[in-house]
Amino acid sequence: MSQNDQVFDITIIGGGPVGMFAAFYAGMRQLSVKIIENLPQLGGQLSALYPEKYIYDIAGFPKIRAQELINNLNEQMRQFNPTICLEQSVEQVEKRPDGIFKLTTNADIHYSKTILITAGNGAFQPKKLQLDGIENYEGRNIHYFINDLNKFAGKRVVVFGGGDSAVDWALMLEPIAEHVTLVHRRDTFRAHEQSVENLKKSTVEVMTPFVPTEFIGKHQIEQVVLQQAKGTERETLDVDAVIVNYGFATSLGSIKNWGLAIDNHSIVVNSKLETNIEGIYAAGDICTYDGKVNLIATGFGEAPIAISSAKVYIDPTADMQALHSTTIMKEKNTKA
Amino acid sequence: MKYTIVNKETCIACGACNDIAPDIFNHDRKGHSHVILDDNQGTAAVPEDFYDDLEDAWDECPSGSIKVADKPFDGDAEKFD
Repeated sequence: MSQNDQVFDITIIGGGPVGMFAAFYAGMRQLSVKIIENLPQLGGQLSALYPEKYIYDIAGFPKIRAQELINNLNEQMRQFNPTICLEQSVEQVEKRPDGIFKLTTNADIHYSKTILITAGNGAFQPKKLQLDGIENYEGRNIHYFINDLNKFAGKRVVVFGGGDSAVDWALMLEPIAEHVTLVHRRDTFRAHEQSVENLKKSTVEVMTPFVPTEFIGKHQIEQVVLQQAKGTERETLDVDAVIVNYGFATSLGSIKNWGLAIDNHSIVVNSKLETNIEGIYAAGDICTYDGKVNLIATGFGEAPIAISSAKVYIDPTADMQALHSTTIMKEKNTKA
Repeated sequence: MKYTIVNKETCIACGACNDIAPDIFNHDRKGHSHVILDDNQGTAAVPEDFYDDLEDAWDECPSGSIKVADKPFDGDAEKFD
């Protein structure tokens, strides 16, 4: 476990749209900021569940694709170079006697003066394939995410899943891998018509309706045994890598053990977005108060309140109300 | 026979099941998912033609809120948990 001793002004738990906007706004309030996100990507539900869907209730956008909104938030946030820690889930939060929070994740330790929880409906995890002995191959040649396509160059890859991502991944791998097989347990795919058309024209071998029943291999998966869904036909494939895209599962996880007041799976906050623990704030879908409405739009409104509350907590001489953004950015650009 | 019900306490209103199985699920006025066959009581047998869609929706639900059983739920989503 590596030690990261820098004490950040604010650490944001959850890199969805509200966390990303909060990171931007923390930059506006001249706070050093770190985001901890449990998936290998930012964007929360929008990127994980419905990147292609249009959203119609974001102020100033008659309609915007979910992933495009995330890309815009990323660009906005990066103006202040926040520190981003992906693939880490916060397991423990402890307030030291000097008031600094110690956050222990599955991979590291972080220190922060304040914490903002923007974890939406909890941490997303890819759904694992349920097969006996699969844990022996975790971290070897079974993948639930593709970070680097080139890792699969020249390999025989089998992709499991029937949604957009599974089809997209199969198509992206086609020109790189030696051979791609896409396995789904029914004949129809839940992917965009265009993607399915592209799939038909590609060299990707489609095997439906099949489900995996056994993985064979000593140190890594060398063969995959498939069985026809509702049938008896069996096939065995020689593979170098297995990619599973069975969607995501979410859970509040360890958050409920941090001593926060929780009401019906949400963190109770006051009008300053303060939780019952001084120095910890919550915004977006994970927080609740009288009159709460769960929308990205309201989360975007809550983020600057939470950040400003944290700013005043860190520096009691600071104003809750910030200057106009035009003034702040002009000063920032003059300094740069 | 298969029966289904949505646990609205845990549903995160992501809309995945509405997209996958529109003959079974729609959203209620709060955006939570809702079984349209029996007003989310889990008492109407799901037509066999929809079994594949039901399985897909169950698979995709990120919060595990879709419950499926071979007996009626009688309005209690946690009946068989």
